[in-house]
Amino acid sequence: MGAIFMSLVELRGIKKYFDKVRAVDGVDLEIDEGEFLVILGPSGCGKTTLMRMIAGLENPTAGQVFIGGADVTALPPRKRGVSMVFQSYALYPHMNVFNNIAFPLKAQRREKKFDRRAIRGKVVDTARLLEIDMLLDRRPRQLSGGQRQRVAIARAMVTQPAVILLDEPLSNLDAKLRANARDELKEFQRSSNITAVFVTHDQIEAMGLGDRIVVMSDGKIQQVGTPQLIYDDPANEFVATFLGSPSMNILRADAWSFGFRPENFLPKTLADNPENSRIFDYYVKRVEYLGSDRLVYGYIRGRDSELTLAKVPSNVRVSLDVDSDYEFAVHNSDIKFFDRVSGQRIEHQDLGGVV
Amino acid sequence: MGILVWILQHFWTLLVVGFVALVALRIAWRFRKYGATRAELSYVIRRSPFYLVVLVFCLFAAAPFLIMFMHSFKTDGDLYRRPQPFVYRQEPTLDHIEALFNNTAYLDFIRNSVVVGVAVVIITLILSLPAAYALARLTGRWGERAGILMFLVYLVPPTLLFIPMFRIVVMLGLKDSPWALIVVYPSFTVPFSMWLLQGFFKAVPPELEEAALVDGYNRVEAFLRVVLPLSLPGIVSTIVFTFTLTLHEFIYALVFIADTRQRTLSVGVPTELILGDVYFWQPLLAAALIIAIPVGLAYNLFLDSLVQGFTMGAVKG
Repeated sequence: MGAIFMSLVELRGIKKYFDKVRAVDGVDLEIDEGEFLVILGPSGCGKTTLMRMIAGLENPTAGQVFIGGADVTALPPRKRGVSMVFQSYALYPHMNVFNNIAFPLKAQRREKKFDRRAIRGKVVDTARLLEIDMLLDRRPRQLSGGQRQRVAIARAMVTQPAVILLDEPLSNLDAKLRANARDELKEFQRSSNITAVFVTHDQIEAMGLGDRIVVMSDGKIQQVGTPQLIYDDPANEFVATFLGSPSMNILRADAWSFGFRPENFLPKTLADNPENSRIFDYYVKRVEYLGSDRLVYGYIRGRDSELTLAKVPSNVRVSLDVDSDYEFAVHNSDIKFFDRVSGQRIEHQDLGGVV
Repeated sequence: MGILVWILQHFWTLLVVGFVALVALRIAWRFRKYGATRAELSYVIRRSPFYLVVLVFCLFAAAPFLIMFMHSFKTDGDLYRRPQPFVYRQEPTLDHIEALFNNTAYLDFIRNSVVVGVAVVIITLILSLPAAYALARLTGRWGERAGILMFLVYLVPPTLLFIPMFRIVVMLGLKDSPWALIVVYPSFTVPFSMWLLQGFFKAVPPELEEAALVDGYNRVEAFLRVVLPLSLPGIVSTIVFTFTLTLHEFIYALVFIADTRQRTLSVGVPTELILGDVYFWQPLLAAALIIAIPVGLAYNLFLDSLVQGFTMGAVKG
């Protein structure tokens, strides 16, 4: 297979050390053509550094970067055929929108023989696609956050690059605009069939946008997969707790630990399959009403030191009183087990003696 | 000529009348815009002390220029008759101005100063633009130390350096020529303008350059197309500052050039117009005023970005 099918971007054994800090510590990754790949991780996990190495703004300490089958590790950014949308958008303040978008085209003017008319045509087409064609005469500081983001995307798209890299482009937008921008971005990527690499620390963005998600932590890839795979079948304790809000409840045993998501931890009367479920005696300490859900804080009897959360949909009419005991159930398949030392997923363990 | 005489003779009256007229116009304009109400009147009265204070400071700042201007046209008899030196009791005269241009090498001084200034500015920019950019961007911890080290060079006073510098100038065969100054002045203008420019370059976000790199340009092009246009106000104020540094430099200019016609303004004017303890006040003041006006205007235009340059370097360092 490998000989016939070549992924568009391939990273082999990429490492980046800043003095003694291991920003990226051995990453292997393949990105397919037309894919929307999201790199997700907490701040400082090396995700932005990894992206900058794909762009060529950072040289890896070790490893190789391939784009379109060619080794580009030693090439400067301009020879890689990638474009990038920066977190701050990095629009050139001294140029109007037209010249901002035309800037990458002007760089290619000599080798691709664009004349003035060709450049104007391409800029206007791209601007129209992103619905900013009426803003071409404005300066960046005269634009709103959402408009700036569109200009940055237009500038990255106008040369029809092989890969577009996006470094948290939605984080400077306010919350309402963000959901809208997310939808448009995904729609735009799908219709133009461009390959996108999107870096974020926001799991909702990652889940919503990604065809595949790469979860990173401490400079290493923790798991790669579809959003559903990563959520339902986490490879280790980090991935399990990093995704989901509130995060997965983890309870410790001697050699291993186990966990289940708050939304899978429901009153026994609501469990659809009680015989395949594990029943816990749950003490309710406090209830937060969040509108769509009730967030329950408490602990499992016998495990008083480990705060355990339950997320009960508001539309189920079960009364949950503070300072009372209830029977809560988790489906057996929703309980995940992890090695206590390595954090890796392990097979089902007998919970008999633990709880 | 007739108008000038009339202006000079009624100088203070004109100043007061002009000021009052300006204030009256301003108040009339406000009244027209907001109506001549009691509230508006009380606003004007409340604000007037503020403007009075401003007026005092303006006079204080303008005093040297006013004194230079008033005295340049006085006859000797009028100038030395006490008291009341600030009014004309004899007809103003252009004799001293004419003497300045006809009997001294003032025009040569101006030409030499401009030639030296422009040449030094060009050399300084060629050397300090890349150096400042490198210090601002391309180096880490050592860059900052190197920057401080180079700035220390600026702090070594010319009074310590002029003897060794003189030997170098003689060795190069540049004695008694403005070229001596063109060679020596960059020794203090380069460290200074480098420091100033570094502050402006640091204020340009590195992301903008990276965007240019990704957009298909190399580092030099990114510098020319993104960093340079964005730091243009800084570069212009660096030019102004470098030029004035060369304009008022005294020791090197005095030591290296003995030939009157080759001298620059800072040395030529005092050596030509002060003979022993005899001061030719009127041409001396006129010579100073004529060069002070363009420099003062240039400073005013770029003062804001100049201050910005100093503080940016200091805060971000």
